[in-house]
Formats: sequence, structure tokens, C-alpha cells
Amino acid sequence: MATPDLSRRAFLARIGVLGAGTLLLPGCLGPAATDTELAELGLGSLVDLLRPVLGQLARDTLNGFIAFSLPGPDDYSRAQGTPRAEPGGIAAGGTDFLIDNLDRFLPFPDEIARPAAAALVTALRDLPLPLAGSLLGGILVPAVVTIGLVENAVLFIVQNDATAPLSLPVALLLNYVATVVNPASLNGAFISPFARLSFADKARAMAQIETAQSGLVALIDSRVPQPLQSSVSGLLQFVGGALYEFAAFGALGESQRFDPATRSLTGRPVGWQLTGFLPDGQTGDGWDNLLGYYQDRREVTDA
Amino acid sequence: MRDAIVIGAGGGGPVVAKELAARGLSVLLLEAGARHADPRGEWTHFENDANNPLTGFLRFGPADRTKPAWFRELPQNSFLFQVSGVGGTTQHYFGNCPRAYPGVFAGYDGPDAGAYDTAHRFPLRYADLVPYYEWVEATLPVQTAAMGRKERTFFDGCEAIGLPVQTTKTTLGDSFRPQQNAILQPGGSAGLTRDVTRLAFPQATGCTLCGYCLQGCMEPIRAPRNLFAKRSTDNSYVPMALTADAWSPGGVPVTLISDAFATRILTQTVGGQLVATGVTWRTGATGALHTETAQVVVMAGGTTESPRLWLNSGLPNPNDWVGRGYTDHYFDLMVGLFDKTTDSSRGAASAARAEFPGRGGMENIGLGPALQAFAMQLSDSGARGFYTNGRGFTGAWDGPSGRPIGPELKDALQNGIDRLLNILVITDDDVEAQNRVALSALPADEHGPVPKVIFRPRNRTARTLANREFLVGKAAAILRGAGATKVFRLDWAPLILHVQSTMRMGMSADDSVLDDTAEARWVKRLFIADNSALANALGGPNPTLTSQALATRTAETIFRRYFGGEPWVGRETPVVSTDDRVTQAVIARGL
Repeated sequence: MATPDLSRRAFLARIGVLGAGTLLLPGCLGPAATDTELAELGLGSLVDLLRPVLGQLARDTLNGFIAFSLPGPDDYSRAQGTPRAEPGGIAAGGTDFLIDNLDRFLPFPDEIARPAAAALVTALRDLPLPLAGSLLGGILVPAVVTIGLVENAVLFIVQNDATAPLSLPVALLLNYVATVVNPASLNGAFISPFARLSFADKARAMAQIETAQSGLVALIDSRVPQPLQSSVSGLLQFVGGALYEFAAFGALGESQRFDPATRSLTGRPVGWQLTGFLPDGQTGDGWDNLLGYYQDRREVTDA
Repeated sequence: MRDAIVIGAGGGGPVVAKELAARGLSVLLLEAGARHADPRGEWTHFENDANNPLTGFLRFGPADRTKPAWFRELPQNSFLFQVSGVGGTTQHYFGNCPRAYPGVFAGYDGPDAGAYDTAHRFPLRYADLVPYYEWVEATLPVQTAAMGRKERTFFDGCEAIGLPVQTTKTTLGDSFRPQQNAILQPGGSAGLTRDVTRLAFPQATGCTLCGYCLQGCMEPIRAPRNLFAKRSTDNSYVPMALTADAWSPGGVPVTLISDAFATRILTQTVGGQLVATGVTWRTGATGALHTETAQVVVMAGGTTESPRLWLNSGLPNPNDWVGRGYTDHYFDLMVGLFDKTTDSSRGAASAARAEFPGRGGMENIGLGPALQAFAMQLSDSGARGFYTNGRGFTGAWDGPSGRPIGPELKDALQNGIDRLLNILVITDDDVEAQNRVALSALPADEHGPVPKVIFRPRNRTARTLANREFLVGKAAAILRGAGATKVFRLDWAPLILHVQSTMRMGMSADDSVLDDTAEARWVKRLFIADNSALANALGGPNPTLTSQALATRTAETIFRRYFGGEPWVGRETPVVSTDDRVTQAVIARGL
């Protein structure tokens, strides 16, 4: 069993915040921020500092998912062990597509998203981890109070921030299941544990969501208001399926090359290149595809 | 006070509105979404711009695209493919207009009578509906579809397995055929050229085979709205409704209000009987509420929205069948890869089909790359080669059922969007009380509690499950017969697109909401004219034509029962929606 201090640090590592904080906070605080300096910031300042950090976390996680959906010659595809020579979902702008749609347009109720995110954050903290101290990198040497402050700031954001983006709970969900299927994903090249997984482990992680694995349901149920608890399992199945479908739709669609001002394309979308769609580049108002009528029959009747 | 208020300008509402307006009644037609009065100015052919369920112009959401789409709770892996805006889901439909199989109607005594959903037959005979089919088929009009390369490929497969050709409107046995489509067939240079300078009306008429049925039809370029090729109601019944005075003696143009979401049916008790008296709706742009009264109210907001509006209005539900019995044809998708050109993304999206009465049917469907990828990720069988989600069926296809992911998906797509063939498997599924629309416990939106659409795909009747397995085997054989080198079975999670029977008319008062005239059993002067009124899943044929035939019959019932009029179907000759009087009025009024 990990010590409370270690498990608390572990939870931050699990969702990527500790790694992100290590990497990104120095830009604000200076590279040698001490525990005291962190503590003196107070909750409000930490919340402000963490918002962009969490945005980076979401982007890194969804990069990992888009590469899983449609691999290409990018770092995330290489890390999962399936690099491809031709452009993939990341080159197609799939990550921006997912973030934009999740954060700006998905009408998902806060009443589920916020407690689900909070449940993931707090439960991650409580899970015992076979962690060695070295897994945390020894870069940030936090006092318990400091780690607690970071945790509280994350919780504050996911529970109270009126503009909390939906990409964050989705990222938390993916990172949680990543660490369940492979605890070694706590350490690696990216901020996000999910992005560190092999392709096969990403599939195992998605299976946890899509099959509404009972432990995951129970975890989220613990925070969701009672009348909504029966909805969690089904919503997880829905989210699992929708992630696959929406990522592929975005990666193969034209959104990256679409100029809404002119309602025209600025270039050939990656998905069109990959599939050979409209090879002459014209979007087209017709095709010379008429072969006639089957058996030359142009009308049928019951008479 | 209006004579009639029709809620919803989708596949069915404009039919009732047009028919009653032609008889001289004052009709108000409400549409929750956008008007889309200028497709060339508002639409594109791009898949994300059109079909993104959150942001596309053919989403289910407010007219103002900067506002989020409307939320529906889906407590399972599934996708609910609703569309708001004038035309409703016919804006993105493929125009397929098969008639229902005769075996789903009362009085059917063919040798296969026991093969259908016998517990939930229509409370009328097939022969009773035929005159209304003929009326709608003439009005839209419905025509035999032309053939492109993907249809030729589908027919090759059907010929290879020895299926006979159907040459009648009525399906009499296992067979294949070109679709009967509500699409004006190619004329002039249409279908013969890629040159945009030769694709404008009137040099080109009818379908130009552009391949964008799913993105809404605005072809040929510069054609009057009622002469756009696809006969979605925004191009057919709505223009007729808005110009009723121009083509029908004594006709009165319908008043159409878009961005108007109905939130309540008003009622009062008259002589001990509950009677519909009007409608309250909310204007999306302002949030203002409006109420109008009417002699008759017609609900036509769709199979998910009609039960929601009923329940939110506090209307009676004594047998608890409001919202129940949802049928969706329990679709599956088979994708065949070829080493030859199929032109899958070109031409009318679906112009070929096969029929298996008592089982269901199937049709080819052409998609662009984004929707093709979407379609190949929707699955209840997990990820091929990694996890099966408790399924992963094997059969006449390659490998286990399920979605190809990552490298396998990419390989399949890189084989070429025009070197594949999709077959949509359309199951004759049973009416089941468990599949339903209820009100969600999640927070209400500005229109009241939101619908929760519940399906139990793994717990459907043995007949439904067996029908689906039979059809996927046939589809695989057709793809192999056509020369497919690899066949995927996706085992789709519910794609709730063909939607029927949540407010069903029925033989028994114990399991239906409507009587045999589509009037509500417990609220007089309240009718339903969308797919929710259908008694069952029709045996598998696409539902829009039958819904429109039934809506025509419902309009006649309203006119006779509450306005003392005479019936017209079978007595008069229908005016086709491409009639020059309609065209001239559309041009003159800038419609």
C-alpha cells in the first residue's frame, strides 16, 4: 500500500497533472519553484495557472486518441507502435476537431460531466499504486500541502468552473482507464498516460469504457446525484462508441481545410487524399455516372 | 383560431398541411429548426459542414448554428440521427420509396402470413392504403431509379446468387430491383457530365448524380426549389403548401413558422371528452412563447419528439404505450472492398435494393469519406482483433464482426472510397415495449424535460435477431457475388434513423395510442402524422412513403370528420409537385 503522500502524488501523475505541472508551471513560476512558493500562491492563483495546463493535458490525451483512430507519421503513432508513412488523424486536424466540438458544442449535461470528472480525480488519488518514488521523476518535491493544493485546484476547476471544457473529463476518463490497464503508463514521453500506451493497450483501455466496466461505473456513481446514477453505465457505453465514431468522422472530414467565411476549402483534406475522394479536386455538382436503367425499365406498375 | 395547426415540417407534417390547404383550410405549420430558404447561400456539399451532429446545418438543433445542438439522452452505445429544419429528415434522406410489405397489414392471408410481426399489424388492409400510396407517388413524384456503377455492382451480386427481379410496386417475394425513388431522374446533360457549366437548370434537369443526397439536395444549379431533384418535403410538399392558392381552386397558402419549437398541446374537456384546442411554442431567437388555438392539432415532430411533447403536455397515457414500441429496423452494415471501381460515392446515394419479405430488406448506400469512416466505427462488437464486447460474430464475412481500428481502418479506407460497396441491412424488427422514448432525469432544456431513447439491442425478440442474421448472410453473399475481395460486418450498435411506431396505431386499445384513423384514442381532434403513427416496422421497407400515404389518409379523415368535407383520393387526379403552376408561384414569391 502506498503512503498517503505517495498515492496523492500518484493520482496527480495518473491524470497527467503532476507531469504537466512539472513541465509547464516553471514557465510561470520559474524552474526552481519551491514548495513554499507553490503554497503561497493560494487556490485562486493555482486555478488560473492550472487551466492552461489542463488544456494541454486534454490536447495531449486526445492526440493519443486520434493517433489510435487513424495513425500517421506522428510521434503519438510511433509511441503506440503503429507509425504510418501517409498522413493520419493528427495531420488531418482531428485533435482540434474533437476539442472544438467537445468544448463548444456538445450539449452534455454538467450534472453528469462535473461529478464524473471530480470522481475520477479523487478516486485516482485513493487507488494504491505500486509506485517507486523515482516514477515521479524527483523533479518536483512536493510537501503534502502543496500536492493537496494542486488537487484542490483541479477539483475546483472540474466542479465549479463555468467554462470547464468537456474535453477535460473525456481526457480524465481516458487517462484513468490507461493507468488501470497499464500502470507503467504513469511515466513516459507525453503528459498523458493514455498517449503513452501501446496500440493494443489503448484498445484494452477503450474496452473498459465501452463495456462500462463495473469498477468504472461504481467510481463515477459515487459522485453523481442519486437520481442520475442509473444513467452512468449507459452513458459510458455511449461515450465509448461516440469517441470512435466522432474521431473517425473528424479525421476523414474537411473541417481542417474549411473556411467558414467563404464556405470553401483552402486545400485538399487529408481524408480525401487517403480515400481518393473527388480525385480531380472539384467538389462537384454532378457526375458522368449514368449507365442507363436496369433492363431498360423506367417504370413499374402492379397492373 | 386556425383550422389546423401542424407541428413539424418533416416527412409527414407538410403532407397534411398541403392537403388541407388545398381544401381551403387555414393551416399553421410549425418547424422547430431553420427554414433553409436559400440552400445555395446556406449549404455546401461538405460532410462536416452538413452532417456534423453538433454543428452541421442538418443537425438536430436551433436555427442559430452558433448555439449548441439539442441534447437527447442515449443510455447505450447508439446514434440518434435526427434532423431539424424545414424538410426534417427528408433533407438528408435518400428518397427511397418502397411500399410496406402487404404482410404487415390487417387481413393478410398469404402463405407467409405468420412470418411478420403478427401481434402488431396495421389496423387497415394493404388494399386500403394503395390509393394513398398512388396519390403520394404521383405527387412527389416517385420514379424508377437510374443505374450507376455502384448499382451495377449490387445487381451483379444479386444476379450471382440467383435472386429474381421485381417489376411491380408491390413486393411479392424475395427479389431485387432498382429503387423506386422520390428523385427526378436525370434529364438533359444531368448524369452525363462533370462540367459545372453544363449542370445548371434547364440544360440539366433532375438528378445530376452528384452523390450528395445526405447533404441536402440543391441540384441542378439555379433550378426553382420545387424542381430540385430529390423530393424531400422542402422541395415538394412545402412549396405546394405555400402556394396552394396557385394550383388548387379555393386553396389557401399555409402559414409556415420556423424556429418555433412546440412545447405544449393545449386541451380542454368538452362533454366529458378531452379535446385538443391549440399549441404553445417557443421562438428560438427570442425565447418568446406563443399560443394559438385551432380546431384540430396534428403532431408531426417525429418518432422521438411526438411522445416527448405528449408527455410534457401532461396528456393521458392510460395503457402506458406512449413512447413504447420503438422500431428502428435494427440496422447492420456490410462493407465489401473491391479491386475494381464501384463509384460508391457518386450518384444517388441509394438506387438499388433487395427484398426478403418476412425478414426485411437491404440496399446499397454511398457515402463520402467522413461518413464512411463514421459508419465503419459504429459497432456493438468492439474492436476487431482486440475485444468483442461479448459478440464478435463469425459468418460469411471475413473475420469477426466489429469495427476495424487504426491501421486496419486506414487500410480499408485507403483501398478507395470508390472501390467499396456498402450494403445497409434493414431488419424487419418487432414492436417491443422495452424499446421506447421516456423523459430523461437529466436536466430539462428550454423546451422541457428531454427525451431518453432506450434500446435493448441484445434483448430483442428471437424473430428480430434471426431476421438480422439471415439478412447479413444474404448481404455477404451479394457482395461476394459482385466480386468483393474482403467483407466486413460491422454489427452496428443502434443507428436510430428509420424510426417508427412510438405512438402507434393499432388493432388493440391495449397496446396502441392511435385508433385506425390516426386520431389519439384519449384526446379528440388530436392526430399524429409522422412515423410514430406507424403500427410496426413495415416489414423492413423505408418508412417515409408509407408515412406520407398514411398522412394523406389522415388529412382526408380530418377534412371529413371535422370540416364536413368529401374525400378526394381515388376521386380526383393529384397535382404533381413539379406542376408549372407550382413552379411559377415558387419563382414569383421567391420561395
